[in-house]
Amino acid sequence: MAVSTTVSQRKHIKRKAPRGFLKRVFKRQKPHLRLETSGDLLMHLNCLLFVQRLAEESRTNACENKCGVIKREHVLAAAKRQRLLLTGISM
Amino acid sequence: MADSGNPDSEPTTRTLLRRVLDTADPRTPRRPRNARAGAQRALLETPSSRRLSSQTKMTARRRSQRTKSIGKLAHVQASGHLEEQTPRTLLKNILLTAHPLLAVSAAPESSIVMPESVVKPVPAPQVVQPPRRESSRGSLELQLPELEPPTTLAPGLLAPGKRKQRLRLSVFQQAMDQELPLSQEPHGNADASSLTSSLNLTFATPLQPQSVQRPGLARRPPTHRAVDVGAFLQDLRDTSLALAPPDTVLEDTQPFSQPLVGQSPSVHHSLPCPSHSGAEDAERAVSHRTRSSGPRLQNNSPGKPAQLLAGRAEEVDALAMSFSHSSSSIFGEVAVEPLQDGVGEEAEERMEESLSMSKVKEAARAQGSARAEEPEGHTQVTEAEGSQGAIETKEPEGSSGDVDTSGRTVSPELAASTLEFLQAKQLQCLEPAPPPSTAVLPLEPLSARLPPRARTPGPKPRQGPYKTRLSHYAKLFSFYAKMPMERKALEMVEKCLDKYFQHLCDDLEVFAAHAGRKTVRPEDLELLMRRQGLVTDQLSLHVLVERHLPLEYRQLLIPCAFSGNSVFPAQ
Repeated sequence: MAVSTTVSQRKHIKRKAPRGFLKRVFKRQKPHLRLETSGDLLMHLNCLLFVQRLAEESRTNACENKCGVIKREHVLAAAKRQRLLLTGISM
Repeated sequence: MADSGNPDSEPTTRTLLRRVLDTADPRTPRRPRNARAGAQRALLETPSSRRLSSQTKMTARRRSQRTKSIGKLAHVQASGHLEEQTPRTLLKNILLTAHPLLAVSAAPESSIVMPESVVKPVPAPQVVQPPRRESSRGSLELQLPELEPPTTLAPGLLAPGKRKQRLRLSVFQQAMDQELPLSQEPHGNADASSLTSSLNLTFATPLQPQSVQRPGLARRPPTHRAVDVGAFLQDLRDTSLALAPPDTVLEDTQPFSQPLVGQSPSVHHSLPCPSHSGAEDAERAVSHRTRSSGPRLQNNSPGKPAQLLAGRAEEVDALAMSFSHSSSSIFGEVAVEPLQDGVGEEAEERMEESLSMSKVKEAARAQGSARAEEPEGHTQVTEAEGSQGAIETKEPEGSSGDVDTSGRTVSPELAASTLEFLQAKQLQCLEPAPPPSTAVLPLEPLSARLPPRARTPGPKPRQGPYKTRLSHYAKLFSFYAKMPMERKALEMVEKCLDKYFQHLCDDLEVFAAHAGRKTVRPEDLELLMRRQGLVTDQLSLHVLVERHLPLEYRQLLIPCAFSGNSVFPAQ
């Protein structure tokens, strides 16, 4: 039969997705919309990839400035580039 | 010794051979130099030569780095022909019998190739062996007749042989690089071992690129994040233990850190740290709790009125937490269940609910002072210890009874404990020790605060658990960055994440509206990722899911066929 939709009780998932948090964020922002079950998992995936790209970019920025530490300017510059490059509708 | 023709730049060789000469066992008859087979037999027959070979092995190791030294066989050979031969002739015999595969020394007289196991035929090198052997033999045979009388010509003849052998060495090395090194000689000289180790290294590397060449099949990168979360939890624990100052927002990611200014550290120390994986974490937390709850309860009692007066939801939750702590400390239970399963809003909700339940029960009991006694009751229990027995009896009943009321895995026990405390206090210790009476008065206004607190979920929880979740992603950021980061940079990351979430929701709304739906579906998410360039024609969403998400989520996301002609999740 199909796999159960819920995870068994004693299962310990590493790197869990904060599903409740994501659902709540969405609800806060768009209370008139509904989010499907698997939607928040994909949202989590999107967040992971976003964070990954951001981290990569800021690391590049920091290395270019020959800093051993990532500073907030690097992060800011990386975020700006992300906004520019992303072809989102509302961005 | 006939060394005139043999420029012994290496005294070690000479000493080696001298040693061999001295200790040689003259059992083995001298074989004709050309009888390589005979030499091999001699090799086999001389047990004593093995002893010598061990000695020579040691000396060989010493000079092996330069010479790529003589193998066991060589020494055995040498020992076999010791009496009659000079060192030079011995060396020549060694050259004859030796497997001309392995390294040729740089030293002039030791144009001795490391003997491969002539006894143990190594299939791979053997391919290379015969031609070399022949050529070397040929060259040696040229040299050998002239060596009978040690002459100065031999070195001249040796040179081309050496050169040839050196060339062959490079060829051999190439051949070895192509073939795996087979069973290494037990008489692994240091050179042999180093050579083979270097070869092993070269063999190790080609295996890796094969996986790199097929990135599509590569699984997701190793699970560093597990460690990161563990470190995160460890940090939490450490901060909670170490009385982290409230201004370290990023480290002290306890849900109630921001609103509680003075009391938060104390409360958090009593809070057990979340631990999914470890009872050991819980035990540690409990031990910390028991340690800290004792003195902390005293602090909490005066602090609680102040907290409740501030009128924040988190404080009530903290109270509930402290209640549970006191209970656990009293009973010595190991409340293994981590209070903060999600480190945040869930715990808060639970606590709110439990408190609301407790409030309901209080109202049901219609005991006005009970509410006031709530905060103090638990402390009093610890102090008085008089009602322990009664409370203990109440505890199990309450815990079983209240499981369904609170409806959460963790909070039932705690809520039950808190509720039972209240009930016990009400039923039996209506008038506990004198302090509660004094505390009743300041606590009465607290009870007035309790009802309105439940109605403020909006802005407050936004700060607490929202921040913790964001910091969860911020920690992921610091992991992915692989570089140390400033705190301000982390705050900046959190701000960016905030904006990102807003943009995300807006985009999803637009997509859903475009499809004429009011529900955001996974297709909208996929479209979003496609627009962001994460999903391409080459890279599908399923691949990304497989790479970055845990297996359990993958099962939920990617449709897979199961038995009985069923597909899950249904499409």
